Amino acid sequence: MMKQKKSSLFGGVTLAALVTIIVMPLLLPSATLATEILIFAMAALACNLLLGYTGLLSFGQGIFFGGGAYVASICMIHWQFGLLEALLIAMLTGALLAGLVGALSIRRKGIYFVMLTLSFSQMAYFIAYSLSDWTGGDNGLLDIPRPPLMLLGFEVSDLVSSEAFYAFVGVLFMLIFVFARRVIHSPFGTTLVAIRENENRASAVGFSTNHFKLLAFVISGGITGIAGALYAMLLNFAPLSNIELQMSESILIMTIIGGTGSLFGSILGAGSIVLLGDILSSVWPRWMILLGIALIGVVLFMPSGLWGGVGSVADRWREYRRRKASAAKSSEVN
Amino acid sequence: MNDYILETENLGLRYGAFAALGSVDLKIKRGSIHTVIGPNGAGKTTLFHCLTGERKPSSGSIQFAGHDVTHQAPHKRVAVGMSRSFQITSLFQNLSVRENLRLAAQGRDGLAALAFWYSENHRRQHSDKADEVIERIKLGAVADTYAGELSHGQQRVLEVGMALCSSPQMLLLDEPTSGMGVDDIPVMTQLISELGQDHTVMLIEHNMKLVMSISDRITVMHQGNILIEGEPEVVSGDERVKKAYLGESGS
Repeated sequence: MMKQKKSSLFGGVTLAALVTIIVMPLLLPSATLATEILIFAMAALACNLLLGYTGLLSFGQGIFFGGGAYVASICMIHWQFGLLEALLIAMLTGALLAGLVGALSIRRKGIYFVMLTLSFSQMAYFIAYSLSDWTGGDNGLLDIPRPPLMLLGFEVSDLVSSEAFYAFVGVLFMLIFVFARRVIHSPFGTTLVAIRENENRASAVGFSTNHFKLLAFVISGGITGIAGALYAMLLNFAPLSNIELQMSESILIMTIIGGTGSLFGSILGAGSIVLLGDILSSVWPRWMILLGIALIGVVLFMPSGLWGGVGSVADRWREYRRRKASAAKSSEVN
Repeated sequence: MNDYILETENLGLRYGAFAALGSVDLKIKRGSIHTVIGPNGAGKTTLFHCLTGERKPSSGSIQFAGHDVTHQAPHKRVAVGMSRSFQITSLFQNLSVRENLRLAAQGRDGLAALAFWYSENHRRQHSDKADEVIERIKLGAVADTYAGELSHGQQRVLEVGMALCSSPQMLLLDEPTSGMGVDDIPVMTQLISELGQDHTVMLIEHNMKLVMSISDRITVMHQGNILIEGEPEVVSGDERVKKAYLGESGS
């Protein structure tokens, strides 16, 4: 049973993700909104690698997101980096920052680990705030370009229209999604689950657990850095809030709401939070209260997140069908 | 080749003025089943923890199969052929029995398991090892069940099976029958004596019937030191052992 679950890289969930990405811009009012969802889904997916698969609750995700956004933007503004170079440097920045934060934080476990990531998050915020010559400080970094997509010297697209940029982010998201699936079902990924389940035992059977946690951080940071850079390109602007603690919180909330331990859940989580924010904020300026209520509801009634909720509704539906079928059969007999 | 797979010299562990382990010279013969017994507080578990690397000894050394492992981290001892089970069952509760064993087999790879670019099914040897161990510990019927859903007896068996997956030279078993019902104990006894045929086994155990029936050698510990060591018949007849178990004032 377990073996069939670990289906191929491109079937099942990957297909569902692909369909979602294709359908989303058709259903949503704007491609920009859809792009925002995908970018946060990317960040939530990276967070899920740590929280859902390794069992590490990291408040450092905002550092990698903001760090990727700033470094990519600065490179594009000052040194005319192209699109792919900027994304590459954002990935490296995220991975490097995650390597630093991770290496120091994983030396402690449980609540102390969480507190360490929290402190790093605060520190990164104030560093960004005080380096205002580079980051724009409180005003944010303005006039961030969105360079055209060049492949082998050819301009594939100028990415000016929001639809074109969505398509680019969509392709990138799918690549990352498949990569994440590969990671999860690799020797490395299965070891992460072992660490989540029982770190003592994982260590006793021979795994040097800190090395595994560190690599999980680096991979998660790299993906989050890319998401940060894409967000800066989407808005043409990198606000200080990118690197605030609240960014880490939002990413964590999306991950938990969507369902930890399921990659598709991250799309659901990011989608619902971004959408709810978009809809509710136009209804009522104090919309965060409603969002809070929605969150409490999900956590209380769908402990395994939206993805788990979808699963249990599907189970109930099957159960209902089966009971109906057997009732029909028994009435025939009578 | 050295006759002894594991040798400790002057092994001691002090907490302030208190010596949990005085000065222990333990030699374990290759291919034997060697049991350590003793009353509560005798230092069995401390000795065990020093051997697995969970506690750092404050004096002495541990030689294992030609390696000095005295200060080696627990996970590194797996690579040189040492493997352990836990007194309090420690499994991957939400994973299947097969996956528990496959992960345990993967542990022997150490850092090579950091590979994230290919599927875990790509290299079969760990799954094959898991299947082999499932057969050996006779949990085939529950191979796809979550470890957390097994009966206590089955969990104890799986606990030992996990230690087996790294193809160790020596198994260290910490009270394998801990908490097991009377009906399950013969299964464990049988399993350990079978394992003794192709592994060196060192175990801590309280169940005297099991100890006497399967051990090649027995070490009795008392107040942090070795009281006596010998074959089961010798140990069971020794006056000092009875005294240690009944207490100094016991008559």
